[in-house]
Amino acid sequence: MSTETTRSGLTWDRLRIPVVVAVLAALPLLFFDPSYTYISRLFILTLVFATLALALNIVFGHTDQLFLFVGALTGIGAYATALTADALGVSPWVTLLFGATLAGVLGALVCYVAARRRFTVILIAILTLSLQLAIIEIFVGARDITGGSTGFRFSGLGLESVQNALGVHEHMVLYYVVLALLTGVLALYHYIRNSKYGMAFDAIRQDEIAAEAIGVDVVRYKTLAGFVSAFVIGLTGPMYAQLESLVLPGMFEFNVIDVLVLIILIVGGIRTMLGPIVGAAVIIYVNEELQATGQWRTVVFGFLLIVLFLYFRSGIVPYLDDVLNERLGLKARIRSLVAD
Amino acid sequence: MDTGIRLIELLIDGISRGMVFALLGVGITVVFGLGGVLNLALGVFSVIAIILAMELFGLTGTLFAAIPLAVLAVSLLGLAVDRSLLSLVYRSEGDERILLGIFTTLGLATFLDGILFITYPSSYSLSSGIASVSLAGVQIRGSSIAVIAIAAAVFAALYYFFSRTYLGGAMRTVLQDETGAILCGISPRRMRTYVFLLSTAVAGLAGILYSFTFEVSVATAFELTIYAIIVSIVGGVTSVLGAAVAGLLLGIVVTFTSAFVGAYISEIVLFGVAIAVLIARPEQIK
Repeated sequence: MSTETTRSGLTWDRLRIPVVVAVLAALPLLFFDPSYTYISRLFILTLVFATLALALNIVFGHTDQLFLFVGALTGIGAYATALTADALGVSPWVTLLFGATLAGVLGALVCYVAARRRFTVILIAILTLSLQLAIIEIFVGARDITGGSTGFRFSGLGLESVQNALGVHEHMVLYYVVLALLTGVLALYHYIRNSKYGMAFDAIRQDEIAAEAIGVDVVRYKTLAGFVSAFVIGLTGPMYAQLESLVLPGMFEFNVIDVLVLIILIVGGIRTMLGPIVGAAVIIYVNEELQATGQWRTVVFGFLLIVLFLYFRSGIVPYLDDVLNERLGLKARIRSLVAD
Repeated sequence: MDTGIRLIELLIDGISRGMVFALLGVGITVVFGLGGVLNLALGVFSVIAIILAMELFGLTGTLFAAIPLAVLAVSLLGLAVDRSLLSLVYRSEGDERILLGIFTTLGLATFLDGILFITYPSSYSLSSGIASVSLAGVQIRGSSIAVIAIAAAVFAALYYFFSRTYLGGAMRTVLQDETGAILCGISPRRMRTYVFLLSTAVAGLAGILYSFTFEVSVATAFELTIYAIIVSIVGGVTSVLGAAVAGLLLGIVVTFTSAFVGAYISEIVLFGVAIAVLIARPEQIK
């Protein structure tokens, strides 16, 4: 009985990424309509937020370092990519990695300092929140470079040759670009979970001092987690900007990005691979439905945040997992009874 | 001479802003110190107090009735939050309680912000009703006089409360040694309720004083929370006196930098100071 459940768990574990990616890859063929970009925008937004939540999952879920500056990191990625591309006169595709690296280095720096100075979770939360607000202030204030609060138009990440060759809408191309990024991050997440890094993260999360005592370099692993997450977030930033065709400070504010990403991560299931995707789909959908109610959207989100954290901290994916396991366990038990 | 007068005027503005910061900082400090909850909804209580005071002023026609009533009403709201939400938060311990505290108060802030935004979408300010005074060429705004006088009185009362009264002493005991407090027959949970009431009242008053000088909208709530957190960090997070001193200093620094360098630099300076203190002395914040 036990071998059977582990074996089915194992195949699911191996098939999970290809199956999910295949399903996601099929969606545009079913739902996208070139004359009606409203739906396609939502699908891309879902992938963008799923990627952000998956990135936060690594650093917050697995190493307990609460990043409250996901918005700022997204912004750094977008601004750095767009502005350097503009200054050098090259395509943003060239400077994409620069923007991501800049965000990654900031993430690593924050985690390094926090780990060296033995920050508790509340300290790193306050530190990153201060950074979030300071960075948005800089986006708004450094008007000469960033264009101030009205920002600037951005459309450098389109692949016009592909678009023209296939005769599809730009959203179709962007969707697959973001999906490629998400697939990469899913694979990375899977790798991390099943490597020495995942083990080290678990050890650190459970007991930092014990982890250090058995030879885990806590500062190094925490810094690494910070770099990886911030890098991915920085890479997602320009995609988000491409979707909105804009780069402006208001897009990267705490209330716009961080609150949503946190809710997505918790709704979907923290420390799970598929949680961020499920969470993003649910929350982006709810968010859109609530647009019709106007201002009540904020009220409902506040309420959701409270209720979810108090009563539903485990999330949808772990919940379904439990239900499924119970079913499978029950079936196996019945079968063993019948065999008797 | 002119620059001398300008500097003195700025200093007075700075002290007035600093005292509001100090009150806000105390609001964060007492709850975090005693309950381990970082109240991200603090600024919302301030904004609610401003709106209530404004409405009550319209009804009663006098600020002497409107302000105390508004502060009282906000404390009652604080009591309701403490009894419902925070009771659930206090069930957990350690790091989990801290995280839960952050998220539930963030949710509460978003929730209340949303409701306020629907009913009160524009900007508001209160007039202290005190005329400006000219003293040896120095113009002192009436609002500054009101803010400094009221805040000074509140700080005197807080000092008296924490150093001379039984309840204040009991609260400090819980802060220092929770087990010891229990052994003396002091209920930490009850003290946390009192302290949350105190913090919402202080935050409400701070908001009203802030609106004597500045226009306030619902979006200001988060800003006020952030000022409060920064002041609290710089002051050492668990020290009421530290928060008061830090608030005063930061208020003066912000006023001077925004007058001489620019408003947006002054905000960044504020965050810079907070980040520097966090990195330099993390051990003081448990």
